[in-house]
Amino acid sequence: MYRPIVNPPALLRYLPVLVALLFSGTACAHGVDDATRNFLTGNEGAAIVPFLYIGAKHMVTGYDHLLFLLGVIFFLYRPRDILIYVSFFTLGHSLTLLFGVLNNIQVNAYLIDAIIGLSIVYKGFDNLGGFQRWCGFQPNTKAAVLLFGLFHGFGLATKLQEFQFDQNGLLENLLAFNVGVELGQFLALIFILLLISFWRRHKSFFSFSTLTNTLLMSAGMMLMGYQLTGYFAA
Amino acid sequence: MNETTTHVQSSQTLLKSTFAAALLAAMVLVTIILPAEYNIDPTGIGQRIGLTKLANVTVVPPVQTEMVAIDNTALSQPAEQRSDSVTIEIPGGKGLEYKFQLGKHAELDYEWTTGGVPIYFDFHGEPQGDTTGYFKSFSISTANQMQGSLLTPFAGSHGWYWRNDSPIPVTITLKTSGHYEIIGLKK
Repeated sequence: MYRPIVNPPALLRYLPVLVALLFSGTACAHGVDDATRNFLTGNEGAAIVPFLYIGAKHMVTGYDHLLFLLGVIFFLYRPRDILIYVSFFTLGHSLTLLFGVLNNIQVNAYLIDAIIGLSIVYKGFDNLGGFQRWCGFQPNTKAAVLLFGLFHGFGLATKLQEFQFDQNGLLENLLAFNVGVELGQFLALIFILLLISFWRRHKSFFSFSTLTNTLLMSAGMMLMGYQLTGYFAA
Repeated sequence: MNETTTHVQSSQTLLKSTFAAALLAAMVLVTIILPAEYNIDPTGIGQRIGLTKLANVTVVPPVQTEMVAIDNTALSQPAEQRSDSVTIEIPGGKGLEYKFQLGKHAELDYEWTTGGVPIYFDFHGEPQGDTTGYFKSFSISTANQMQGSLLTPFAGSHGWYWRNDSPIPVTITLKTSGHYEIIGLKK
């Protein structure tokens, strides 16, 4: 009926390490935000490791990106498919992250975050088979992931540009941030996959898949409402 | 090759799911997210469960860096540790000041609230013996409450200027503790 994506026992062996990594980031998360801000505004020249860290942290703690990823891999069973789809997402957000920051393109953060919310609604609806049922066709899922990946990248670019950090070593820092984002995504993906492949062993996965995708849609709508209100109120 | 094993739901399930998702999102947005994030609270639930507090407070921690040339340390003798509570009514369209006399590097713990209405304030200090009209602002903002601790940068009078821009009187409850003398109201 299904094939486990990863061998859970193998992953379990690394779980303590992963948990330790996660908590090392979140234990002091409250202070880190101010510290990060101070660091970014005060930084001069290339600082590869800090930017790697900031990128990874942004992804691991970015629930909007994670919800979208959850939607994307929800019905993906084969490692190859997961790799392909995540690569499309990575390609999309890396392109606009690099392009956006290097060309100093500022997109309104509220609008971009609202579109990121929309991407979650889209994926939830897609997972319910909404397009096939109501539109009579399935929009190209890879193209959709790539397209929404582009928007997620503009979101990342806008966040990074808010800090107005030093232009010295911009390219190095930007690439480090981008690689950090991918590392964070990889780490988060391992957790999501671990949980979802365990859940797939149980019947409840199938009985609750409609509910889960409904909740995914709802969460996306909340994000949209939250960001659009911010756009019109600000 | 069917790479996404999508489960196409019936029209009825889709309709139900979409409607339920929208309803849940609308409810959470209106009662929780918007009150907490933007102080937009059409139902009043945010206020009742205390979430609007999150959006109202924009308090900047007091700045304690700048030193002033006038430094009358000799004049400031340490006062007794005390605690006070006072209610101050600010008439509509008026502003007033409430001040405390403190020594240099003295600590003032404070907490004030309007009970809900945001009010413009300037939390500042004036060095003792200064005749130039100099004052240092620690925080200027609009909030319905503020609490914290001030370490005075110089000896002198420290306190708040509140300005009530609404036509309705606002009552402020101010609680303080520390080593100080009350100067009180200044119009």
